Amino acid sequence: MFENINFLLIREIISSVLIIMGVVFMLIAAIGLLRFPDFYIRMSAITKGSTLGLGLILTGMGTYFNEPDILLKVLLIIGFTFLTAPVAAHVIGRTAVRNKIPFWERTDLEEFKDYLRKEHSTHRDHERDNKHL
Amino acid sequence: MKTFIVHFLIAFIGSYVYFKYGDPFLPYNAVWAVFVASFIMFMLWLTTPFYHRAYFHKLPRAISLFIYFLRELVVANFRVAYDILTPNYRMKPAVLAVPLSVTTDLEITMLATMITMTPGSLMIDVSADRKFIYMHTLYVKDNDVESAKQDVKDGFERRIMNLTR
Amino acid sequence: MSLFSFTLIFAMAALSICVVLIGIRFAMGPTLPDRITCFDMFVSNIIGIVAIYTELTGNHDFIDVAIILSLFGFLGSISFAYYLMKSTR
Repeated sequence: MFENINFLLIREIISSVLIIMGVVFMLIAAIGLLRFPDFYIRMSAITKGSTLGLGLILTGMGTYFNEPDILLKVLLIIGFTFLTAPVAAHVIGRTAVRNKIPFWERTDLEEFKDYLRKEHSTHRDHERDNKHL
Repeated sequence: MKTFIVHFLIAFIGSYVYFKYGDPFLPYNAVWAVFVASFIMFMLWLTTPFYHRAYFHKLPRAISLFIYFLRELVVANFRVAYDILTPNYRMKPAVLAVPLSVTTDLEITMLATMITMTPGSLMIDVSADRKFIYMHTLYVKDNDVESAKQDVKDGFERRIMNLTR
Repeated sequence: MSLFSFTLIFAMAALSICVVLIGIRFAMGPTLPDRITCFDMFVSNIIGIVAIYTELTGNHDFIDVAIILSLFGFLGSISFAYYLMKSTR
């Protein structure tokens, strides 16, 4: 039943389609990195697009090689990337808020004002304490 | 959670050893490997009512949460891609203070990870008394802040609470 | 040259264009967190390039490079952000 199907061709086609989709996502993310007006918008929109593209590319590679070892390594990389990308984004975003990176002028900051005021004032206190030390 | 990790490791190592050292009558590829691993997990899941009854109900909810998360990820990616490729911005960014219903560390971590992984929304901080999270989101329709908050609470938080409570 | 390897070479070229675009943002980014974001995306692009190169040459050893790179990229961006958080004025 399986003799007259060319499995290598099918794998190549699936792998090509996945890789092209991943590359298109990454290209869109890179264009958006140049176009968007504000640090936070770039941060929230772009890093995750590149993560999804990376996942698609690695899945394509895993289906092309037909071995358990390669699949194990690919799953390791995908799991690690999907676990660490949100942590890195969260840390960089909080650093940016603490460093007073300005928001875009059309951003609705109504509910965030209290937090911003408190954050910046405590930050100044902290700096003054350091100066005494 | 502990039961899930143990079952997952058993299924993973079992399928790995089966394809690497056993005598597989299936031709090896990624689809069959995932199929065998999920088959082992399904058989282990059928035995759980005898010793861990809650796990029997929770695994379908976990799978539905995972599928919802993947769908949300792809849909939001396409929305952001459309906004990048067309010349005018459709977005109205805002920073929302979403009131939390979940309390423990694990639930807040899961909620924050899922919110951050969806493109177009970024979690900035948890307030000091753990009542609110501050999230930066891109698409608020018609300046209606409450419905945007309600989307988050109905989407991710309700499913997480179904899973952990 | 088959269609498959042509596709792979095309994908590598597109990823190289991505690296150039990110480099432009890296050069003109107004603040330091912009540059950390760019660094993060550099790393993921280069993991993609390594993966496609592995598929093109058929040599299995290159995947280990991708694993190490993903570990060190996370470590690098976290440490940059932490340094920035501690050293502001």
